[in-house]
Amino acid sequence: MSFDFAVILARGPQILAGLGVTILIWIAGTLLAAALGFLVATARRFGGRFVDLALSLPVEILRGTPFLVQIFLLYFGGPYIGLRLDPIPAGLIGLSVYGAAYYAEIFRAGYQSVPTGHVEAAACAGFSRGQTIRFILLPEMALLVLPPAMNMAVILLKETALLSLITVPEMTMTVSAIGSQQYAFVESLVVLALVYWALVELANLLGRLAERRLSTFGTP
Amino acid sequence: MKRKLLAALAGVALSLSAVLPVQAQDALARVMEAGVLKVGTETAFAPFDFVDAGTHTGLNVDVFDEIGKDMGVKIEWITLDWTGVLPGLEAGRFDMVAGPATITAERMKRYRFSSPIAEATVALLVGANSDIAKPEDISGKPVGAGTGTAQLAQLKAFSESLDTPASEIREYVSFNEAYADLAAGRIEAVANSLPNIAFVASQRPEVFKVVTPAFGTPTYFGYPGRIEDEYASLMDKIDEILLKMRADGRMEKLQQKWFGTTFDMPEKVTEPAI
Amino acid sequence: MTWTLFELLLQASLMTILVSAVSILAGLAIAIVLSAMRMSGNAALKGFAVVFISFFRGVPLLVQLLLIFNLLPSLGITLPSLATALIGLSLCTAAYQAENLRGGFEGVAPGLIESAEMAGFTRAQSFFWIRTPIALRMTFPALVNEAILILKASSLVSVVGLIELTKMAQNLAASTYQPLPIFASAGLIYLAINVVVAFLGRRAERALPGLPSA
Repeated sequence: MSFDFAVILARGPQILAGLGVTILIWIAGTLLAAALGFLVATARRFGGRFVDLALSLPVEILRGTPFLVQIFLLYFGGPYIGLRLDPIPAGLIGLSVYGAAYYAEIFRAGYQSVPTGHVEAAACAGFSRGQTIRFILLPEMALLVLPPAMNMAVILLKETALLSLITVPEMTMTVSAIGSQQYAFVESLVVLALVYWALVELANLLGRLAERRLSTFGTP
Repeated sequence: MKRKLLAALAGVALSLSAVLPVQAQDALARVMEAGVLKVGTETAFAPFDFVDAGTHTGLNVDVFDEIGKDMGVKIEWITLDWTGVLPGLEAGRFDMVAGPATITAERMKRYRFSSPIAEATVALLVGANSDIAKPEDISGKPVGAGTGTAQLAQLKAFSESLDTPASEIREYVSFNEAYADLAAGRIEAVANSLPNIAFVASQRPEVFKVVTPAFGTPTYFGYPGRIEDEYASLMDKIDEILLKMRADGRMEKLQQKWFGTTFDMPEKVTEPAI
Repeated sequence: MTWTLFELLLQASLMTILVSAVSILAGLAIAIVLSAMRMSGNAALKGFAVVFISFFRGVPLLVQLLLIFNLLPSLGITLPSLATALIGLSLCTAAYQAENLRGGFEGVAPGLIESAEMAGFTRAQSFFWIRTPIALRMTFPALVNEAILILKASSLVSVVGLIELTKMAQNLAASTYQPLPIFASAGLIYLAINVVVAFLGRRAERALPGLPSA
């Protein structure tokens, strides 16, 4: 058996289009997930015991089930309850909601890491709740939250590959389709693996840089 | 100097390629010796191959049961997504493929096809209340088919032949997802062979209907095997059994069972229409 | 959604549990070897471990499984679906577990290693009999967490031809046209298994001996 990568690489524009979809869904999905996760964690921190308990249920369900089952449920089950999303919106929503559960836990740990004394002191100084979050809680938890948050972003990048199974035209779908059309399936998988690997290492590098910046600036 | 280098490179390439083909043994002899025929397939291709309430069933299962009986071997099924099936055959994961696959000129360059087992001419499946009355009506509408299939290729060619092509042609991991999306209303038609969609429509008449006439070129389904010499004996044996099944009426009975009809098929497709 | 369908899902979940359990244990063994390689003085061994961990943590499992399944035969290795799934999942979780263990190994008090050496332990002996048990004990919660991740990740092994919980759900959804209750039930079964694993993990954590304070 010989390998022929030329037939895959000859379809460069198609591969790039798939890569573009992957990156767009990843970045948009991660930002939405982090924002939603932050909202959930904040509601759990300040909303009282009932809100905390009520929100813990969806978080645990999302964290206890495979992403694949979640997107199958959303994409194929959704239309039966009137939720008919196209592949890309379905993929984006699925990724954001799934990621939000994990980000909610990351931010929850962040909130817990800040001593209550600091929050009380802020209240004594006349800070509103918004100001307390903005000027006390967020800066103090940033260093603790950043590494797992970046780690989660990398996990979400890899999870986007599953969106090929609900026909989102992202990189895995595009490249493996080229591979099977050109009878170069193994080659297409090697190309895919290398591109994901490079993307993940790049994201890891950016994460480390951000951490270093934060640790030189942030500490009081 | 340059020539020497080339010769050396060629030598390395030769020795590398000499290492790899370890199993130049005759495939039929190997299968008989092992007592097992390994067959790769996908299970999202009713009524040829599907999973009904957890049980693998369909025309393929019945036909290969007969083949197994005639050869005196056990059939071992390996089920993958369709995109992985033909690569799996080439990689030597199994002895042949069920599927079946449409016999096309391009595929015949790469695979040896069995004698045809059914007609494969492509038509459209649409929603029960759809206003698509003839194939040309897919103009400007979203449609779909399974990725890496001959049906998809025909749908693309047909769409491009229209003044206004289909608005979008979606590719699915399997036809089951395409049917689900049609039922959900995300697409307006699925292109697949008549035997397939006739079965699907008969199972769910309140959801689906078939649009006739077929738009595709008349084609046939066969079981793909390896084209290499050492597989010739195995594929000859399969053909012999399939033709025997036609002669003694077993094939007709199975076609009636799964398609509710029988097909007029050549004994061997030598010049496929596509 | 009938009881018969639910029973089929339950049966298929046995495969999910089997594949996950074997992979997590095999992955742990590989992870310990990878840790030893990474901490060894040999640059080649160290380099191999670093690249291995980076690759398997850097490529989506879906792509890894397809690659292993399709690449191995062209190298003359043809394995059945179950073996391919086990190898794929084990290698992937090994990379993550090695990363988890790293913290544990770094946390072993240097004094302990020194006293082991003074007591006549070779480097290998002190690695396997002193450092590894302590690292395992320290990172036990991470192991439980990884077990849950692998249970969920096993939903992908159907791409190499194995029928487990998710694939069974897909098949049933296709033949019954009831994706909503079927995928929801599959999710429920995963959730139940994970709740049990997390519970047992907490129990085991409490039952395990405490860490030596050196």
